[in-house]
Amino acid sequence: MTRLRALLSTVRLPALSILVALLVGALVIMFTDLEVLAALPHDPIGAIGMGIGRAVAAYSALLRGAFGNPERISEALNSGGDPALWARALRPITESLLRSVPLIFVGLAVSVAFRTGIFNIGGEGQFLMGAVGGTTTAIAFGGAGLPAPITILAVVAGGALFGAAWAFIPGFLKVRAGASEVITTIMLNYIASLLAFFLLSNWDFIQREDHTQPISKALETYVTMPGILPIPELRLNISFIVALAFAALVSWFLFRTTKGFELRAAGLNLAAARYAGMGAGSSIILAMLISGGIAGIGGAFEAVGTVKQLSPSVTGGVGFTAIAIALVGGSRPAGVVATALVFGALRNGGALMGLETRIPIDLLFFIQALVIMFIAAPSLVGQILRVPFRRRKGVPA
Amino acid sequence: MSAATLVTGAEQVAALRGARIRAVLFALFALLALAAVPGAGSAVATFSFWVDTVGGSDAAFSYPVAATWFLAGGVMAAIAALQLRRGAGFHWRRGIGIVAPLYVVAIVGALLNGTAANLTVLFTGTLNYAAPIAIGALAGIISERAGVLNIAIEGKFLLGALAGAVASSLLGIAIAGPIAGALMGAGVGLLLAVLGIRYKVDQIVAGTVINLGAAGITNFIYLRVLQEHSELNAPVNILPVKIPVLGDIPVLGSILFTLSPYFYVAVVLVAFFTYAIFRTRWGLRLRASGEMPSAAGTVGVNIIRLRYGAMVLSGALAGFAGSYLALGGTGGFGMGISSGRGFIALAALIFGAWNPVYAFGAALIFGFAQATSTLLSILGVGLPPQVLLAVPFVITIVVVAGLIGRVRGPASAGQPYEQG
Amino acid sequence: MRLELRDITKQFPGVLANDRVSIGVEKGQVLGLLGENGAGKTTLMNILSGLYRPDSGTILIDGKERVFRDPAQAIAAGIGMVHQHFMLVPVFDVTESVALGAEPTRGLLGTFDRAAARAKVVELSKRYGLNVDPDAKIETLPVGVRQRVEILKALYRQSDILVLDEPSAVLTPQETDELFEIIRGLAEGGTSIIFITHKLHEVLAVADQITVLRRGKVAGNANPKTANPKELAEMMVGREVQLTVSRGASKPGATVLELKGVNVLDSTGEMAVREASLVVRAGEIVAVAGVQGNGQTELVEAITGLRPADSGEISLNGSNITGASPRQIADAGVAHIPEDRSRDGMVKGMTVAENLMLNSYHRPPYSKGISLRREEIDAAAESAVKNFDVRTPSIHTNIASLSGGNQQKVIVAREFSRPVGLVVAAQPTRGLDVGSIEYIHRRIVEQRDAGAAVLIVSTELDEVLALGDRVAVMYEGKIVGVLDAKEATRERVGLLMGGATA
Repeated sequence: MTRLRALLSTVRLPALSILVALLVGALVIMFTDLEVLAALPHDPIGAIGMGIGRAVAAYSALLRGAFGNPERISEALNSGGDPALWARALRPITESLLRSVPLIFVGLAVSVAFRTGIFNIGGEGQFLMGAVGGTTTAIAFGGAGLPAPITILAVVAGGALFGAAWAFIPGFLKVRAGASEVITTIMLNYIASLLAFFLLSNWDFIQREDHTQPISKALETYVTMPGILPIPELRLNISFIVALAFAALVSWFLFRTTKGFELRAAGLNLAAARYAGMGAGSSIILAMLISGGIAGIGGAFEAVGTVKQLSPSVTGGVGFTAIAIALVGGSRPAGVVATALVFGALRNGGALMGLETRIPIDLLFFIQALVIMFIAAPSLVGQILRVPFRRRKGVPA
Repeated sequence: MSAATLVTGAEQVAALRGARIRAVLFALFALLALAAVPGAGSAVATFSFWVDTVGGSDAAFSYPVAATWFLAGGVMAAIAALQLRRGAGFHWRRGIGIVAPLYVVAIVGALLNGTAANLTVLFTGTLNYAAPIAIGALAGIISERAGVLNIAIEGKFLLGALAGAVASSLLGIAIAGPIAGALMGAGVGLLLAVLGIRYKVDQIVAGTVINLGAAGITNFIYLRVLQEHSELNAPVNILPVKIPVLGDIPVLGSILFTLSPYFYVAVVLVAFFTYAIFRTRWGLRLRASGEMPSAAGTVGVNIIRLRYGAMVLSGALAGFAGSYLALGGTGGFGMGISSGRGFIALAALIFGAWNPVYAFGAALIFGFAQATSTLLSILGVGLPPQVLLAVPFVITIVVVAGLIGRVRGPASAGQPYEQG
Repeated sequence: MRLELRDITKQFPGVLANDRVSIGVEKGQVLGLLGENGAGKTTLMNILSGLYRPDSGTILIDGKERVFRDPAQAIAAGIGMVHQHFMLVPVFDVTESVALGAEPTRGLLGTFDRAAARAKVVELSKRYGLNVDPDAKIETLPVGVRQRVEILKALYRQSDILVLDEPSAVLTPQETDELFEIIRGLAEGGTSIIFITHKLHEVLAVADQITVLRRGKVAGNANPKTANPKELAEMMVGREVQLTVSRGASKPGATVLELKGVNVLDSTGEMAVREASLVVRAGEIVAVAGVQGNGQTELVEAITGLRPADSGEISLNGSNITGASPRQIADAGVAHIPEDRSRDGMVKGMTVAENLMLNSYHRPPYSKGISLRREEIDAAAESAVKNFDVRTPSIHTNIASLSGGNQQKVIVAREFSRPVGLVVAAQPTRGLDVGSIEYIHRRIVEQRDAGAAVLIVSTELDEVLALGDRVAVMYEGKIVGVLDAKEATRERVGLLMGGATA
């Protein structure tokens, strides 16, 4: 009972933050509709009604896009085992899960850094470099005709290595020169993007044949990630399982190991960590290596397994969404997974929202920004909803 | 020995080590340049300028590449020697200021490899590009000098650009765009201040909120509103103007005096705020607020009000600079129009050591890298454009890593102030 | 001017900082405000300087009621504060620092009239014999001069009432004497002065009248001419003070810690410890006395491995530990109670149990390989909390929510729960209530009696004299004298602390 109450009190602020942000998003939908605005002066009630209608239509499309159409689900249920109907019914929800995979990885990456007191804004660049590493190893190993399991392991290792190497730079500079990781990771994001652009347009090994755009070769010819559902039309693949496994691993590492203890101590009080004989500098570097490595694996899975080709835009702002996810999830692996599932569903559902109601998916970035704001300023949500909130401890906010 | 030169032991040691590292680096560059002399052979680089107006008659000049390499290498060697002899007291930034153009001339000459290049466009491109960067950096300087970290310049650029484009389109007056941009920026600055000061939100988190939210909402409005109603995104462009008399000076007139009005405004703003920050009562209090707010708070300076004011001012400047992106000749707002220039402004502010004049210099260097990249790709030179585009970001990392000399930002930037 | 505070009450969450406090000071008079740490002195002064608003009570100046909404109004009313922690911008010069907030300006833009401000600083410095260079950068000035800059700030604003909060904390006895002269000079010139301190001899030396605060209330008033130190001390702490810790004679054994010619640099590269040589034997307490900032911090950091020694040798039980890591030194049986409890001694945001494990988590039985063993950790924490009388709701409570005394008990429990051959305790009782002080002193003596070598560093002379079997005195980085408890009188130690040779 007390555990349930504890869980509820943990979930209350994030849940309300997301809810309030979605409500503000609805207002934005209403008041950026020129028809609504035009009707407002002479028929305010009708206009607002129309606006609410638009917002409801948008969000219902969002929900159907994210979780599936109830009609189709009941069709599938009634059909017995018709795989085509099941595929149609389950596609939205499985796509949502697939969408959440990169968010889980980078969310975990940012959380490990947060826990160590490092504001890693570089998830974007580390993810991209991981994607470059994964793509390169996929072409190298797959091209050499090695068996799929070996290639997949190599892709994961390649992604981890590139991501970790990219994250090592800000970690090292912070320890050796006291350089703010906020500044260095921002700058490294841009350098990563330019580097990927450069490699994809100048390096024949990965650049797509007969293309001038910065796009990699089609990667499914080298390796495919095995699906995890019995219906082949559904794309959900092992990356989802790996992401969950990493969440468990990170949780174990942070709270059940000596190194994790050192990282958390360094994150909360660097001076005390030094006093207690922990290598504070090595904690920071270790945290950045882990953080970058996890982000890099996410990038490798995304490019090789899901998009099946690499371009500089493969990140889609995942590094920034991950900051929102880490904050909402309280930098706890379980919280990160839960939040990433919600955000993944929103992102996936946003596509249908755009298709049906022409509401651009970019609204979700705005909503994410609001969520971060509400999480970071709990009393703001409190004032909006008239419920008391206190700032949470142990999370940079 | 005056008090200002009293440096403590460890700093002295570090400074000396830094000086030695610089001397070695300079010597290395000198060697590189001298090594390039034989390779250049008898190659000649040819450049031209527009004499009167862009596209009119041009005047060309040529120089031998090998001699330029020699000159650059020689001067660099001299600088390396001076650096070694004078140690930490050597004004190496000035040295670089003298020698860097020589290197640029040599490198560009070598890259051109015989093709003729027009420099008027290169220079006007540099200066026009630098204008919003310099103003954005100034905005960041004011807020950080007051003690509030500012990574949200990018977001303010985007929102300023959108506001400028829409207001200018609706009202049809040129001046409406920049004013709307500034007002929008001021509003965002106020929001940042409320989050950071009132709600004590971490300033990095608050900046991330603004950047992410600005990207989301401007894309959203562009796609949902502006795309269908292009009349809302047809602003009065603010194009380069030729200043009477001065603009008629041959060659120079079309470079220095036929620029976007934003550039002239940037020069005035930088001069004005340099004076304001370092010479006025407001500036003294602003700097105290960024270095040690309690020192000012205990003598009756209202830090909270000062910071609110600085944030609104900073936002207005950034929003104003942002309006350039939509009004400076691109024909309106486009998705992601700032394309990282807000962060380049942040880079300029760091490279410029929180000083408006130096930051302007940094903006010019970044602008030159950008304009050179454009020029080279037009001329089909085989240097990948990404190399030059990465210059601001790489320089910033080098600077914050303290590889070539330490810069010190305001000591209390990033910490919320609590009275008592 | 005549200043009176009447029935000032200020409540903070959980603490009644000031409870109907009334004090008064006449024109040209020095009021000594005496009280131990946490008695409410600083809160009272923050109310007077406009930083806090009182919940009730009134401030009267020359009989007229005044309300200060912010520091600007207090300054305008003629009140000048010299804070315990200097309020000076390190990168500003003296003129800028003094003028800040009251800058002379000219022109439309409000240009700072530096020349005018500088002239005034020079004039004031000369008139009051402060001897301050108006163009020196604050960060290059020694603390004594910085304090004079603070006094200049008040004079510059023509303050009629000057409040000095613990002004001697960072000064040598000589500098303190100079300060007293300046204070007397100002008082003769008609300035009213409130002098806040917890040092008895200081109020006796400088004050015209004494008010004692205890636990937020006025405990009594006294006249320095007739008051006796023992009475004042009782008034301050509320009962008869136990000036000596009950302990038997020491039975020194083998040498445990030995320093030979140790030099240590501080963070700015200055030589903070010079040629320090010292021996601490098993079963004895060596107390290091000295005014704060004379190298004690760096000495402790060098012994515990937090700061490298520049030269010299530190050995523990005969083996050289110079350059060993903090972990190696702790594992060799050194317990370290750090000077800055909040900064170094604990990790706020972690639980009591986790804080108890801070430097033994890597050893069996608390971990196996890289894996932590929660049951062992919790069991050890439960018993430590019980043995050391830590008042906490649970071992899983965030340490930040404990009182200072209980936090220090957690630190002591952590350090003393391991096998200990050497105890290094820096300012072990700073800022604690009397009950906690006695408890921690008792625990330290217990360690000595169990055969540990103990090195205590304290700026509180009382603590040094009460605990030390031998007393070493540091002055400007040197150990200028080592006295046996018998010869270590307050006068002799005080002289050494001030740099006089014994």
